[in-house]
Formats: sequence, C-alpha cells, structure tokens
Amino acid sequence: MARDSVLCTIKGPVMLQVGDVKTDFARAGVAVIDVTFPHAKAVDVQEIVFKNYYTAFLSIRIQQIKYNSGEGPRIWRTCLRNHCLMHNPHTEDGSQEYTSLFRQQMLCDLDQVTSLRLILRQPSPVWLNFSLEEIQIYQCGQENPQKKFPLWLSCLLSQEQPIKVHNELPDTEKVSSEVQQMWVLTEVIQTNETGARIGRFDVDGCYDINLLSYT
Amino acid sequence: MMAASPAVKIVEKRRLVPVAVAVGGPGPAGEADFLRQAGVTGMLREALLTVLEARPEEPVAFLADYFEKLALSRAEETGGDEPGSPARQQRLDRAIWYLRLAHYSQRTAFHNNVSIAYECLSGGVKKKRPGLNGRIYSEVLRRICREGAASEEIISLLLKKIQCRDYEAVPYDLFRYSTLTCFVLLEFISKADSLYHVLDDSGQADKRVCQAVLDTLGEAIMASDLCVPTSYLEAGSKLRPDCLALAMDKALLTRRPSSFMSRREFLSEAAVLFLTKVKPIN
Repeated sequence: MARDSVLCTIKGPVMLQVGDVKTDFARAGVAVIDVTFPHAKAVDVQEIVFKNYYTAFLSIRIQQIKYNSGEGPRIWRTCLRNHCLMHNPHTEDGSQEYTSLFRQQMLCDLDQVTSLRLILRQPSPVWLNFSLEEIQIYQCGQENPQKKFPLWLSCLLSQEQPIKVHNELPDTEKVSSEVQQMWVLTEVIQTNETGARIGRFDVDGCYDINLLSYT
Repeated sequence: MMAASPAVKIVEKRRLVPVAVAVGGPGPAGEADFLRQAGVTGMLREALLTVLEARPEEPVAFLADYFEKLALSRAEETGGDEPGSPARQQRLDRAIWYLRLAHYSQRTAFHNNVSIAYECLSGGVKKKRPGLNGRIYSEVLRRICREGAASEEIISLLLKKIQCRDYEAVPYDLFRYSTLTCFVLLEFISKADSLYHVLDDSGQADKRVCQAVLDTLGEAIMASDLCVPTSYLEAGSKLRPDCLALAMDKALLTRRPSSFMSRREFLSEAAVLFLTKVKPIN
C-alpha cells in the first residue's frame, strides 16, 4: 500500500555566492532548491519528505494560485522559517537524517501550491557542501492508504456490537467454528497439490497416432 | 566371601545363554552379535520408531498388529497380481495399514508411510515393471474412503476426479496426493457431519439455512487464492460468526417455503464444495 509521491522537477541546489563567481571563493552558506510541478499543476501539499545532507536550517517559501492569479510580481509566502535540522551545525548530529514535514507544521496553508523554494542554510564552515536529497512531495488525499483498504477489514471493527437477528438460529459460534475448520481442510488439499501427471497420450479417449508411432 | 558369591552366580547364568545357542548350531559368539545377525536389532528399532510415530493408544495391540504385518510381508515377498489372489489382497491390506498409521498432519511420518505403502504395492509384483498400476491405485483409494464411512455417492464423485485407468502407471507424487485427498476428505465429511448436527439442533435442519451456510463456505473457498495472501484474511472474515448469522438470518427471511435437508444431502453438497479444490488427474 505504498503511496505515490507527486511528480515534480527539482532544481539545485544553487549556492548563494557573494562577489565574483570566478575569483571569490567565500561561501555564503546558503543554498536554494526550487521545486516545480510539471504543466503548471497546482498541488495540495500534505507532506514533504527528504534526506538531509549537512543542512543546518531549512526555510520553505511557496507560490500559490490564489495569490498569483492576476498580473504583477509573484508573491512568495513563507511557510517554514529556519527549521532546525542539525542540532549543532558543527557536529554530525542529524546531518543525514530523514525528515518528514507535514502541512500542520507549516506557518500557512499549503493549498494549490505551484512551486516551492527550499532555502538551505549552513553557518558552519566545517562542511564544504550541503544539500537535501531524495525530496518527495505527497499531496492530500493520499496521506491515508485507506483507499485500498478492503471493506471487510474495516467492518471488523465497526460491527463489534451484537447483530440483531430476527429468527431463531442455530448456535452461530459453533457453526462458524465448524465451517472454518472445513475451509481449512480444503486449503490443505490445495497446498499439497502435485504437478505429477499420469502421462497420458490420448485426449478424450482418442490417441494421437503420431505419438503412438514410436512406442 | 559370602558377599561375592551371588555375583558369581549371575555371571554364570549369563554365560549359559550363548552356550545354549551353540548347542543348536554354530552361531555368533556375543548376544549383541546374534541380535544383529538375526536382524532383530534393526527390526525392533523400526518397530519402536513406528510406535513413536504413530503413538497408538494401545501399544501392545499395535505392536502385535505390526509384527503380524511384518511376518506376512516376509512370507509374501513373491506373489501374483491377479485380482482376488490372497497375496495381492494381503499387500493391499498392508499398504492401507501403513497409510493409516500416522495422521496426515504429522507430515514426515505420513509421507514415510505413504512411500512404504507405495513400495509395498508396486514392488512386490514383478521387478521388471516397478510402479503402481491404476487398478490397485483405485482400489486403495476406494478402500480408504469406504473404511472412513463415506457414502458411495461421495466416493464416486471423488474417484471421478482422481481415478485413472486400470492399465496406467501411477507416479509416487500422484499416489501421495490422492491418498492425502482421501484422508482429508474423510475428515472434511466428519466435520460436515458435526456441522449438520449443529444446524439440526431442533431436529429438523432448515434447507434455507443449510444452503446459506454452504454457500458462504463456497464463497470462502472460491475467494482464497494461494497467490494472494490477503485473500485468506478476506475469505476467513466471511466465516465469522456474525457474518454467518446474517447470512442464515437472511435466508430465513426469504419467502421460499421451508423444507428440510437430509444429512445425506448436506454431506454430498459439502463434498462437492470440497472437490472443487481437488485437482483432477490428467
């Protein structure tokens, strides 16, 4: 019952650079990952899952249809601000952990999201590179795998109360136990099935003359 | 001196035994040697193993039976294959006795016994043509079922599925499957019988109720599929007491006139359900 993540395009991480790209090697300790959905699809985001790679703090900004319907500059809303991924940026703790962020943890709603920007910060100079890996986004409605949940299984719990029976019936407990044992016996036969064959040459009582010619 | 003399006597007594044997003819010197050469060690060992496998309620009667069969098998190593010949009949008896030794749920013991029975049925006749022919095979199956008190109707239904022609050779695997099927069917019928007694609580089993229970069982049998593990959960859930109660209740609410189902009818219908799972021989 695995759920499917939303198909998305992930760009980055792009390091924020101060000064000249070629000559200046000072790193700002900030990187950006852009996530967009193909065909300008809008997604009601339920959960974001990723594996950390030495990122200390994460902020997420989103673009939504409802704020960007008209002309004019696109509006970014911040839905997560400086979420701590590594307890101490200089040490390994949490540096490669899987994290799952739910919409309930966010500062604003995550409806009709068209793109996400993940802003990664790593203030410690100890780590040369930092990033997020295996980013997966799940949309609402899929959070609960009950879609494929068989009906009979959910009935098990809901029908705990005794059922009203109109007629006088034989002892149902006993009937059930006997019937179940009978059912098990039929399964015994099925599991012991054999592939052995008699090796008949004939079909429906008639022999094929070609099969008989050399015997 | 007084304390040592009984020990000396025992030693003397013990020595008497090989001496007595030596009088009858030249034999092995030690007791253990004698037992080994006479085949008694192996025989007793096998007997003990069989007892352990079968765990009979009356070991003495069981062992008496065991040694009787053993003596017969020694005496009848060679014999004809004509139907009705005493040697053939005895082989059949012995094979069935082996088959019944252990319940099929004791897998290893049962399989062991089936292979012994198979050997004993096929090997004794002509060494040139090892294998079991269809005639003896059908007879064995028929006898297992008859001794288990299955009705002729059910036996013929079963044999229709797993019988083969008199002249055909039956491989071991098939023999094992078919004998197992017979034993499981017998147990199935006895379960169906006790189910009928439950349904027959008031003295008259309502046909609609019986049919509803059988239908539910049929559904479960159809629903379970070896390749889909969850199907077993689903099939099992159909057989819950409350589900069965609902099915029976629904059946009673229908307007069909109520009639009674006889025990024989119920058992045959149940057997038909069982046989849907039996793989036909081809």
